[in-house]
Amino acid sequence: MATGESSTQLALRDPDIRLMLRVRDDDAEAFAELVELYHHRLVTVMHHLVGNNEEAEDLAQEVFLRVYRGRKKYHPKAKFSTWLYTIANNLALNVMRSRQRKPTIPLNVRDSGPLGPRPAEQLVLDRADQPQQRMQKQELAAIVKQALDTLNERQRIAVVLNKFEDMNYAEIAEVMGLTTKAVKSLLSRARDNLRIALQGYIQMDQAEPTESAEE
Amino acid sequence: MPLTDDEKAELVAYLDGELDEVSTQAVEARIASDPETRAELDALKQTWGLLDFLPQASPSPNFTNRTIERLTIETEAPPAAPPPADTAWITLVGWAAAILLAVGLGYGAMAYYWKGVGKDSGDPSKNGQPIHPEPIADADLPLVRHLRIAERWRAYENAGDIAFAKQLNHPDLFADEPQ
Repeated sequence: MATGESSTQLALRDPDIRLMLRVRDDDAEAFAELVELYHHRLVTVMHHLVGNNEEAEDLAQEVFLRVYRGRKKYHPKAKFSTWLYTIANNLALNVMRSRQRKPTIPLNVRDSGPLGPRPAEQLVLDRADQPQQRMQKQELAAIVKQALDTLNERQRIAVVLNKFEDMNYAEIAEVMGLTTKAVKSLLSRARDNLRIALQGYIQMDQAEPTESAEE
Repeated sequence: MPLTDDEKAELVAYLDGELDEVSTQAVEARIASDPETRAELDALKQTWGLLDFLPQASPSPNFTNRTIERLTIETEAPPAAPPPADTAWITLVGWAAAILLAVGLGYGAMAYYWKGVGKDSGDPSKNGQPIHPEPIADADLPLVRHLRIAERWRAYENAGDIAFAKQLNHPDLFADEPQ
């Protein structure tokens, strides 16, 4: 039951809004559908922000619970994903800021940690890559991760939403509560910082990361 | 000449497809004429491409089920509301009064019980009077010395002779039993 004409139009355009409106009406099945639909994307975003798969899942789960708790206050004003990532942004910002106050020592990429491949992934890698190429990719992943970690929280969120959620500046601005101009400036500084951090590795980007090993 | 912050922002926005037609043409003209801008553009593109090397997340296959379970637990459990701050002290005083009353009643009951027991038994010590044992007369001293024999006289009587009585002295037969 959308409120007002614009909400109705939005709901007609965005099937996820219709799903969320069912959640608002206490439809448990609709909530499960919504979780199923978005969990992979949300965990991916959180993973890039916090760098840890387990924590990313916990945070994504908390986002969905907040969606459910706040369902009665939901009034569609934009795409559903914008509302979802606004909640995710607030939660991630809190986590990253509290982590900054209590810094932790990151694990090496080869340690059994968030950056290390899981057994199934390792098997795929073993079949696909030559050892040297695999090592190069793992090292590069760690270096890129470190470069991403040099960004401040807002820059990192903007980069992740832009890169992995394909959000345009206006959507990022809405999620982060900024102006479009501020997002443009934020992303420019972020990409400049990344370019500086990855200066020595730019020439390594010759092959697509998902391509298999050469024959 | 290095690019200003605004020019860099325009370049990034150009890469992101965020510029209007006029701005796009302006940036393209600059790229065509300025090798430094071209190099900057190329570096920004490659940097962006490097982000594809970031480790991929792999959510658990049962993520949705776990989330629904957590939600079910959360919605079924009634919220444990703490007592309001202004009534907390009333609860505390109530408990203290209950404990004091219980202790007082217990003490009274015990005092009453022991008083009654002392009266019934006739035992001077239980009537609150000190015990003064009678002095033993000299004539009775041998009896006191052989009190243990007197206590077991029936057994000795059946023994018949002293040798058998000595055999009866074996600890396995007549050792003091634990009380």
